[in-house]
Amino acid sequence: MIQVTHLTKKYSGKVVLEIPDLQIPRGQKFGLVGNNGAGKTTLFSLLLDLIEASSGSVSINGIPVQTSEAWKPFTAAYIDESYLMGYLTVEEYYHFLGNLRGVAKEEITSWVQDFEPFFNGEILGQKKYLRDFSKGNQKKAGIVGALIGKPALVILDEPFANLDPTTQIRLKKLIQEEAEKNSTTFLISSHDLTHVTEVCDRIVLLEKGVVIKDIETTPETLKQLETYFSN
Amino acid sequence: MPFTHFKTQMKRFSLTDLMSLRKKKFFRAPQWELKLGVRIFLGFVVLYFLAVFLSLGIGGYYLLSKHYPDTDPILLINPFLGFYFAVDLMLRYFFQALPVTEVKSLLLHPISKKAIVQGVLLRSLGSIFNALPLVVLLPFCIVFSIENGINFSLWIWFLALFCLSLSANFFTFLILKDNKKAAVFLVVLLLGYLLDYFFGLSISAYFARGLDLIYQNGFWALVPAGVLATSVVLAHNFLKQQLFLDKGLSKKKERIVGSNLQFFDRWEHMGFFLKNDLRLIIRNIRPRQVVLTGVLFLFYGLFFFTQDRYFDLPAALVFSGLFITGGFMITFGQYVPAWDSEYYSFLMCQNVAYRKYLKSKLYLMMFSVVVSSTLALPYLFFGSKVMLVIWAAGIFNFGFGSMITLYSGAFNTNPIRLNIKAKAFENTQNFSFIQLVFMLPKLILPLLVFYLPYQFFGFSGGLLGLVGVGLAGLLFQKQLLTLIVKTYQKKKYQTLQSFSKSVS
Repeated sequence: MIQVTHLTKKYSGKVVLEIPDLQIPRGQKFGLVGNNGAGKTTLFSLLLDLIEASSGSVSINGIPVQTSEAWKPFTAAYIDESYLMGYLTVEEYYHFLGNLRGVAKEEITSWVQDFEPFFNGEILGQKKYLRDFSKGNQKKAGIVGALIGKPALVILDEPFANLDPTTQIRLKKLIQEEAEKNSTTFLISSHDLTHVTEVCDRIVLLEKGVVIKDIETTPETLKQLETYFSN
Repeated sequence: MPFTHFKTQMKRFSLTDLMSLRKKKFFRAPQWELKLGVRIFLGFVVLYFLAVFLSLGIGGYYLLSKHYPDTDPILLINPFLGFYFAVDLMLRYFFQALPVTEVKSLLLHPISKKAIVQGVLLRSLGSIFNALPLVVLLPFCIVFSIENGINFSLWIWFLALFCLSLSANFFTFLILKDNKKAAVFLVVLLLGYLLDYFFGLSISAYFARGLDLIYQNGFWALVPAGVLATSVVLAHNFLKQQLFLDKGLSKKKERIVGSNLQFFDRWEHMGFFLKNDLRLIIRNIRPRQVVLTGVLFLFYGLFFFTQDRYFDLPAALVFSGLFITGGFMITFGQYVPAWDSEYYSFLMCQNVAYRKYLKSKLYLMMFSVVVSSTLALPYLFFGSKVMLVIWAAGIFNFGFGSMITLYSGAFNTNPIRLNIKAKAFENTQNFSFIQLVFMLPKLILPLLVFYLPYQFFGFSGGLLGLVGVGLAGLLFQKQLLTLIVKTYQKKKYQTLQSFSKSVS
C-alpha cells in the first residue's frame, strides 16, 4: 500500500526525519509511537504531500504522491481540527466529503446513523457550526468524516487524545471493525501505548526522526515499549 | 496552624509591558518583514490623508470666511456635525473590535481585570477615528486663533467636540457584542434621519443649537465632558463584566443560515463548490466585510458620471466600469486561496484536483461579475454610452480579469482568519506588495486594451478591444487555467506552510 524510499526531511540543514525504507502492506493497522518531536506528524505530512521531502519519495499504491494526485480518491486523513471546515454543520461537512468521494447524500445520511453510539448523541442534529463544537466532539466528527466513502487508506494523528474514556474504547472497536469489513489500511500515531498496541498489528517507534523499533504486536509489546520509554 | 502566606499582591501590569507584547506579536508574525514594508507604505498613505485633512482644516477656515465674511465660521460648521457624529458612530461599529484573543491570554495571569480593561480602553484611543477631529479641527482652530487672536470659547468648543468624539469611541464598546443593542442603535439613527428628511424635525439642528450654545457660553461644555466621563465609566464597567469566557469573550453562537441552497445543485460539481463558497461568505465575518466593500464599489460610478469633466475622459469611464463590474471580483478574488486557509491542508489531501478547485473559484468570480453587471443597470440613467462602457468592462472582467485575479492569488500566502473582524487601516495581514503589483495588470492592462484601439478607431474601437480580450480569455480559458494550476502547484508547499502558521 505504502512504499517509502530514502525519505529525508531537513529544516535548515538539520535532519528531522530519515527513513531509508518502509513498506506498509494493504490492510495493516500501523501504529506510530515516539516522543514529542520524534517526527510522527512530519512523516504523516510527507505521506500526504503536505510538505516537500528533502530527498527520497513516497508512493501510495504505486502512485508517487509528489507528482500525481491520483492517490487522493482512496486516501483519507484526520490530523487536527484544521481538517474541518468550521463554518459548516456536521451534516453539511459530511455531504461535502461525500460529494468529493462519490457517495450520494441519502447514502451518507443513513450510513452515518451507524455511528450514533460512537457520537453519543452529541454530533448529529446539533444546530451549530463545527467551529462551535468542543475539541473532543470536533475530533469525533472528523474521524468519522475520514471514513466516508470507504477509503483504502486512513491516516489518523493522535486519534485517542482529547476523547473521553468511553469514546476511546468505542474508537478502538470502530477501527478494528472498519479494518475487518473493508480491509482498510490504518496509520495511527499515539502517545497512548495501551491503546495503540491493542489496536495495531504493527508498531514502529520513531526517535529523532529515525526508526528505532519495528515490531509486530505480541502480548509482550506493551511491556517492551514501556521499558523503552521509561529509560 | 497558621495559613501559609501566599503572595496576593498583584504586579502592576503596565502599559510598557503591554507595548512590549504588542511589539513581539508584530515582529514574530509570519512574513513580518513584508508587513513592516506594508506598514511603511500604509504610513505614506496615512500621511497623504493627513495632508488632505490638514489642508481641509486650514483651507476650510479661509474658504468659509471668504464666502461668508459676516458669519462666524463655527456657526456654519455646527449644523453638519450631527450628521458627522452619526456616520462616525456607524463606522466605528463596523470597524472597532474587542481584542478577544489578547484579552483571553491575559486572563489567567495575575493581572487585575481593571488593568486589562484599562489597557483595552487605552488602546482603543489609538483608533484612526479619534485622530480625525485632531487633524481637521485642530488646524482649523489654530488658524482661527492666528487670524482672530486667542479666543477661549473657540477652544472650549474644540474640546467639547473632542470629548464627544472620544465618547463615541467608548460608547461603541457597549453595542459591539450585542446584536439587539446594535439593532436598536441603527434603528434610532435611521429614525432620526427619517424625521429630519420627511417631517422637518431636525435632530442635527437641535444638536447644532447645542453646540452653538457651548460656543456662546463655555459653561455648557460641562455637558460633553459629563458625557465623556459617563461613557468611560459605562464602558469600563461593561467590559469588566464582559471579561468572562461565556460573556464578552465568547464566540457568538449563531443560527444556521444558508442551509437551503438547493438551487445550485443543478450544476453538479461546480454548483456544489459555489454553494460552499456562498456559505463561507454568509457565515463568516471577514468575507462579509469584503462583500460589503464589493457592494460599495457598485456606487463607484456615481463619483465619475456625475461630473462633466470625467464624462469626456473615456479612460475614467472605463476605470469606473472596471470597478463597478469587478468590485467583488477584486476584493474577494485577491484573497483566493486564503479564504480556505484554515483548512487548506485538509483540502489538499481530499479528492479535489487543483484544477477543479480553482475552476470553481473562477466561476464564483465570473458569477459575481454577471451579478454586478446586472445590478449596474440603473447607470443607464447616465446614458447608453456609460452603459456600454460598463458592460464592455464587465465582459473584460468576466473573461480575462477573473483570470488575472485568480493567478495573483497563487502568490498570496497570508492566511485569513475567517471569523475575525479586520480593522480599518490595520488590514495589513492580508495586504501584500504582490497584490499591489497585480493591481497593475488588473487596471492598467484593460485601460491599455481600451486606449490603443480608441486612439485609432474611436470609441467603439476601444470598447471592442475590451470585449475582444474578454472573449479571448473565455476562448483560451482551458489553456490559461492550466498555466494557473501549474503556478499554484509550484507554490503549494510554501502556501501550506504559511497557512499553517497561526495568525492572531
